[in-house]
Amino acid sequence: MAARRARRGGKKHGKTNLTPLFIGVGVVLVLAIIMGSGLFKKGTGARTADPTPNFRISDYRRDGSRFASTGNLYVFDGRIENIETIGNDRIVCISLPDRDNLQERLPLLVPGNRRLSINLTRGDRFLFETTCTTGKTADGKQVKGVLVVKNAKTR
Amino acid sequence: MKTSQITTALLVSITTGIATAQMPTNTQPAQATGGGAPLPTGFDASGSSVKPQQQDPAHQGETPNPQLLGMELPLLDPSTDTVKYNGGMFDVGNNAAVRARFEKYLQQVPDDSSESKRYRAIIKDILKQTQRAGRDQRYAVGNEVLIHVGKALYQADKYPGDGGQSGTLASSIVSALDSQRQRLQRLRENKELEHDMQELIREADRWQNSSVHRKTAISAGANNSPKKGGGAVDNGGDTNTLRIAHHVKSAAKLEAAQASNTAANEAAAVAAKINYQSVLVTMLMSRRFDHVVIGARVYRHIFREGDTKLDLNEDSKAFELFSGGMGLPPTINTLDTLASNARRDVDQAIQSVHGMLARNKLGEATQGLIQAVAIGEFMQSVATFPTEARQRIARYWTLRKRALTALNARDYATVEDVAAKMKEMDVDFDDSLLLSFTTGKKRQSDLAIRNARKALQAGDEEKFNQYIQEAGTIWPRNPNLDKGVEMIAKYDEGDSVKEEFRNLYKGGEFRKIARDRERFKIVAIDPSLAKQYEEAITLVMKMDGMLQQIKTVADQDATMGPCMAYEKILEWQKEDPRYAEDKEMVLAQKDFESRAHDFVQALRDAENSEKRSEYGSALSCYYRAQCIYPHSAQAAAGIKRVMSIIVQATYE
Repeated sequence: MAARRARRGGKKHGKTNLTPLFIGVGVVLVLAIIMGSGLFKKGTGARTADPTPNFRISDYRRDGSRFASTGNLYVFDGRIENIETIGNDRIVCISLPDRDNLQERLPLLVPGNRRLSINLTRGDRFLFETTCTTGKTADGKQVKGVLVVKNAKTR
Repeated sequence: MKTSQITTALLVSITTGIATAQMPTNTQPAQATGGGAPLPTGFDASGSSVKPQQQDPAHQGETPNPQLLGMELPLLDPSTDTVKYNGGMFDVGNNAAVRARFEKYLQQVPDDSSESKRYRAIIKDILKQTQRAGRDQRYAVGNEVLIHVGKALYQADKYPGDGGQSGTLASSIVSALDSQRQRLQRLRENKELEHDMQELIREADRWQNSSVHRKTAISAGANNSPKKGGGAVDNGGDTNTLRIAHHVKSAAKLEAAQASNTAANEAAAVAAKINYQSVLVTMLMSRRFDHVVIGARVYRHIFREGDTKLDLNEDSKAFELFSGGMGLPPTINTLDTLASNARRDVDQAIQSVHGMLARNKLGEATQGLIQAVAIGEFMQSVATFPTEARQRIARYWTLRKRALTALNARDYATVEDVAAKMKEMDVDFDDSLLLSFTTGKKRQSDLAIRNARKALQAGDEEKFNQYIQEAGTIWPRNPNLDKGVEMIAKYDEGDSVKEEFRNLYKGGEFRKIARDRERFKIVAIDPSLAKQYEEAITLVMKMDGMLQQIKTVADQDATMGPCMAYEKILEWQKEDPRYAEDKEMVLAQKDFESRAHDFVQALRDAENSEKRSEYGSALSCYYRAQCIYPHSAQAAAGIKRVMSIIVQATYE
């Protein structure tokens, strides 16, 4: 409506009514950008928007528990090479085509209680948001440096 | 006439000295046969040398007939080329004395000297003279011929090759002639004695008649008238009686002398004949056939009474031999015929030998020459036999001798070698029987060695020795006997070897056992160690086979091949710990380990991570190993195991 008024005013009166309109539009845009940015951060986590830099599977193979600091989140852009389902849990084996040797594999645990919004299929690439944690078996045995999938999205 | 038997008799006379044995003065048959030990004459089926047959026990202790030609003469068995003489068997071709004589002949140079030619010319001339005299009565051997023959014989006697035979014959002729002259002298004496005796008888008769007449006259005068004169007769009546008695006595003496001369003549005639005949027989046995012919022809002149019968014991085989089985008494003509036949046979044999040599039939030529030499060594055709032909036969003869010697020594390999050479030289040489014999013997010996080996393997040393001895007896130079000796040597040192074997087996050094398997084979005699020995050898062979197979497969894929091989070797070593101790297997494992470094490293990292409970890392390592070698069983097992652990855990 403002635009229509602006066009009519431009024909009849020149520049007199345009400034408030631009201001309004700019405010709306700024708010939209701010809100959009806030919404994205709310859905995927603030630090997992991009794959974790400088991660090498070979490093992980040598010492996985090194990555198991509390609150440490890792995002991988990986292609699923293999999926093993054991009970309710799944272990997804991915490669990192853009980043690592193709003969390197990174195993990710997808616990049965973790509901993902997408279906994981072999050969497809996803963005996996994981945490490196240490588990414990029923007999008290530690299971160090396991990457547990928190979320996954298509690229 | 049994010519072959006569020939054989002559042959054997070379070796046995029978010629001298048959002289009237020789009464020792053992000496006649040489007096030595019987010679080996051949070989029976078992390869043993054939000894001369023992004298028949029934005839042991009997003294051979010592009379002239009274001994048993040799008899030839043509089927075996052997001669039976005085109870013994002799192989003419394999008799040491015959061999020596023949070899000497082969090495001699043909006798073509001027002396030899002159000698043969003289003999030929004598034969011609006596032959012509024999054919034509007009040329009957008379005193002139005898004188010529005698002179010629004494000339021939000067030649060394004559051996004094001509002189002997000449002396015999002279002796016989002297005997005949003495006989004639005694006959003449007898005639004179007869004449004297008749004179005495006539005179005595006259005196007797005279006495009787006077007595009658006296008696009549006494009755009618007294006689006038006649005093001497009166006085001589008694004197005549004495004279008559003396004449009668003298006539008796003359008659006795006459009878003595007659007896002496008969005895001298018999002695002269026997002496002459014995010389001829001796010459026949000495193979001086020319002299026999000459002597026989001259005989008829010397002993003109026509009795040519040989003085032989009618019960002797010599009598039967010379009479030809016809029952007729042997005569001087028999000797003449035998000698003539022998001369002809020898000449024909020499001609035959030349023919055989021209056709490369060395075997038959050799046999023919042996017989020719044995019969007529002193004949011209034999003595002048060419050098080149002798050398060819000598080469063949040497091979034949080597074959016999090798056969006698049971050296069958040499026998076969020599037989092959003889076959090359003689187109007709048949070696089939010889080779069959040697092959059979060799197999028998090898079979005995095989049995010995089995006996040793069974630990039966006594039987081993028995079989080895048997093998050595059959074929002393069997090369496999050396193996038997080695076997028993090993057997003797078996105790130390067993100890060494036990130590190696205990230490798992199967490959060392396999490397020295021949040396350690001896321990298999011990049943308790046989199984271990077999196990060690089998295991090493199996490992070698496996390694060979896996290396072949690994070389086909440079990436996954070494991974596969490495993992397979580890798998084998887990299945059988002995594989892990085998050096070859360990070396192969290290080789594949270096060639599959990434794969091996991934597996090791996985194991180490598992040990540290870094199951995430371990799983990643196993996956990496699986990426390198997708068929890895270790990786698959590790993945499965680690996954199971991961999903069992709870995570905050």
